[in-house]
Amino acid sequence: MSTAESLHQSRKRKNAVMMTLCVAAAGIGLAWLALILGALLYKGVSGLSLSVFTEMTPPPGEAGGLLNAIAGSLIMTIIAVVVGTPIGVLAGTYMAEYGRFSKLTTIVRFINDILLSAPSIIVGLFVYELLVRPMGHFSAIAGAFALAILVIPVVVRTTEDMLTLVPNSLREAGTAIGAPRWIVIKSVAYRAALSGIVTGILLAIARISGETAPLLFTALNNQFWSGNLNAPMASLPVTIFQFALSPYEEWQQLAWTGALIITLTVLGLSIFARSLTGRREDR
Amino acid sequence: MTVVSEAMPPSAAMKIREATVRRFALTDTIFRTATRFSAILVLLILGGVAVSLFAGSWQALSTFGFSFLTTESWNPVTEKFGALAPIYGTIITSAIAILIAVPIGIGIAVFLTELCPRPLRRPIGIAVELLAGIPSIIYGIWGLFVFAPFLQTTVQPFVIDLFKGIPGLSNLFAGPPYGIGMLTSALILAIMVLPFITSISKDVFDTVPSVLKESAYGIGCTTWEVTRRVVIPYTRVGIMGGVMLGLGRALGETMAVTFVIGNAHRISASLFAPGTTISATIANEFTEADGELYTSSLVALGLILFVITLVILAIARYMLMRIDARTGA
Amino acid sequence: MKPMLSTDLNMAESVTEKTKIEVKNLNFYYGESKALKDISLSLRERSVTAFIGPSGCGKSTLLRVFNRIYELYPKQRAEGQVLLDGKNILDRSQDLNLLRTKIGMVFQKPTPFPMSIYENIAFGVRLYEKLGKGEMDGRVEQALKRAALWTEVKDKLNASGLSLSGGQQQRLCIARTVAVKPEVILLDEPASALDPLSTAKIEELIDELQADYTIVIVTHNMQQAARVSKQTAFMYLGELVEFDATEKIFTSPREKRTQDYITGRFG
Repeated sequence: MSTAESLHQSRKRKNAVMMTLCVAAAGIGLAWLALILGALLYKGVSGLSLSVFTEMTPPPGEAGGLLNAIAGSLIMTIIAVVVGTPIGVLAGTYMAEYGRFSKLTTIVRFINDILLSAPSIIVGLFVYELLVRPMGHFSAIAGAFALAILVIPVVVRTTEDMLTLVPNSLREAGTAIGAPRWIVIKSVAYRAALSGIVTGILLAIARISGETAPLLFTALNNQFWSGNLNAPMASLPVTIFQFALSPYEEWQQLAWTGALIITLTVLGLSIFARSLTGRREDR
Repeated sequence: MTVVSEAMPPSAAMKIREATVRRFALTDTIFRTATRFSAILVLLILGGVAVSLFAGSWQALSTFGFSFLTTESWNPVTEKFGALAPIYGTIITSAIAILIAVPIGIGIAVFLTELCPRPLRRPIGIAVELLAGIPSIIYGIWGLFVFAPFLQTTVQPFVIDLFKGIPGLSNLFAGPPYGIGMLTSALILAIMVLPFITSISKDVFDTVPSVLKESAYGIGCTTWEVTRRVVIPYTRVGIMGGVMLGLGRALGETMAVTFVIGNAHRISASLFAPGTTISATIANEFTEADGELYTSSLVALGLILFVITLVILAIARYMLMRIDARTGA
Repeated sequence: MKPMLSTDLNMAESVTEKTKIEVKNLNFYYGESKALKDISLSLRERSVTAFIGPSGCGKSTLLRVFNRIYELYPKQRAEGQVLLDGKNILDRSQDLNLLRTKIGMVFQKPTPFPMSIYENIAFGVRLYEKLGKGEMDGRVEQALKRAALWTEVKDKLNASGLSLSGGQQQRLCIARTVAVKPEVILLDEPASALDPLSTAKIEELIDELQADYTIVIVTHNMQQAARVSKQTAFMYLGELVEFDATEKIFTSPREKRTQDYITGRFG
């Protein structure tokens, strides 16, 4: 009897220990987030001023801003999204609609999932071999192209998922009224899945807006203002990389401020994207 | 009230319909072809990556052959390149990161599914996922300016003192305390892969039928026993998939590591020593590489990384697909 | 509520006896398994025909052959002939979209498109007809009136179709189908997801629509079949067991299996 009792006690103790460890794990996870965001706010906010958004990146030892880097990031991100989104949406459409039951879809899904988590520096090397080497120089176009390759798998995945959630009964209803497949897709399926697909695009933007590795040897960097897509272009992440590793205090400060801007952008985009799908689920 | 014509369009209208239908069929063919082509393009991207990396690294591979994988020296001046140090650094940092992140990640997942009060579940879950969205360069800058100095001044001297004179451990944790180095990189990587492991573990935990858990609770099991004996065995494949996915991330992670690893092409016994990884080497040296062979060797490093992550990710996806197939998700 | 049998034989004989759809030796397969076995029957123009039988008997499958909606899915195929006004719609040369403009369908669950009430109806019309704003307004109004929904929605045509109640949504779907002026309307258990009051409205509507359309209704509700149809087909395990005037099926069926089913001995 007493052995049963002590066994029970030890089981309860063990449970208490393990559960405490689980709570501790969650505490650690949240603490990291708080620590990183805290440091970022602390170091970044002090450098935040209007000049960050209105002045060019300075030469070593001088004050300046991040205007050309921010503009470069925006330009390359926009091109990447404009190029990558249609391809991603179309591919996702094939997988969820025309090719839902085809072998090709299974293969594409598998490969796409691999691309989704493939190291982004590999994409940088690929674009270097594909564009930079033949062209003979670094360029914004190559950078945007590398980012587009990162956009595609995210958009493919969410488009397929969201279209798969559209009930078949809606497709049948559209088809039964005499609408051809493409109109059913365009006017019924896309419409029903719209907020989900937009979420995917936003998440893709969030993903590429902080990407550094694929830009290092495609767009390179540029200390000056450049609207030339055929020449190297500055971007926020690469500028942060360069400035943070420099010995100059002004540059390091700008790196922190840039990091804060990127983080706030990414977090804002993710939260906004989530709220879109959240609303859809509520309805 | 109604006339026959309401139900039957006259033949002229029928003609128009037939023309419309032909136009529809054409557009449909075009649209279908466009979607199919885009899907194939996804395959072509991966194929293109493989081909271009192989082509770019051909010179290095044909010059050094198999010894490229087994040589430690990396000397741009004499143009002797070997990938052993970066491969070693990549594998060691990722392995340590996974060892740290897996128990914590699973712990958080258990907390979220079994212990957390319901109203807190969603916000904490979202917070963990936001951690996954923070760009790696942020971890890098934080690691370099905040985390590494902290390790350098407090943790490392303490650990070095602690293990001084103990065979094995004293070598593993030998000084001087640089702050940056292999272990620092591994810790940063652990933080970075933690959200992936957590959110996948949580997802697969949610696939356990509640009947199973309830019947275990019903015979008097504690929460830990239910987790250990029911939930984890049931979801083993899925958790492994999540771990592999996290490993894939860690292996390919570039910027955070580049900041804190120290970029030294050598293999040191001490985890506190600077080292390098494949991705950090590429990021650091690619734009400065002069000479075809140098560049080609860096691309060859990329090819090695590509092959390793491809295998790991394929295994991960395969395992996660098995879980999906079981739950019919 | 209508009397149990709304059709007396005199009335049934007074309407046209012309055949609208003729099914000849139809077989249907889901992959390897045969879901319809050698079905032959003919459906009269401007009349309501009901398909009844226990679930899985193939009644919905048969209905889905008439507009070839099954073609959305792989591994489903039909063999045999289905003649619409004498022309085989299973022929490869048959354009599916054109077929579906002639044969409309309403589904078990209401399926309003994710757009406004007005757009739900205009969507189908716009596909094949170029109408001015005024004409389109007229068409929408006409269709909604036909589906006995106009008075309920005329002040909120721009509201989402999803904002309507289940019964209203189903009538919207009927209006949508009527608006494209089909010749045949297929109803796949159109009232099974609705409350009794909405069901009664739908049945009333079916009764009115048969003046202009050939209607085929699948139902698991025998009383409903008896109330709305002139002819009834009883199906069991993929076979057509008995096909006759509704009154005959429900009062003096030839087959023992039909008798067993309508008296509630199985199914």
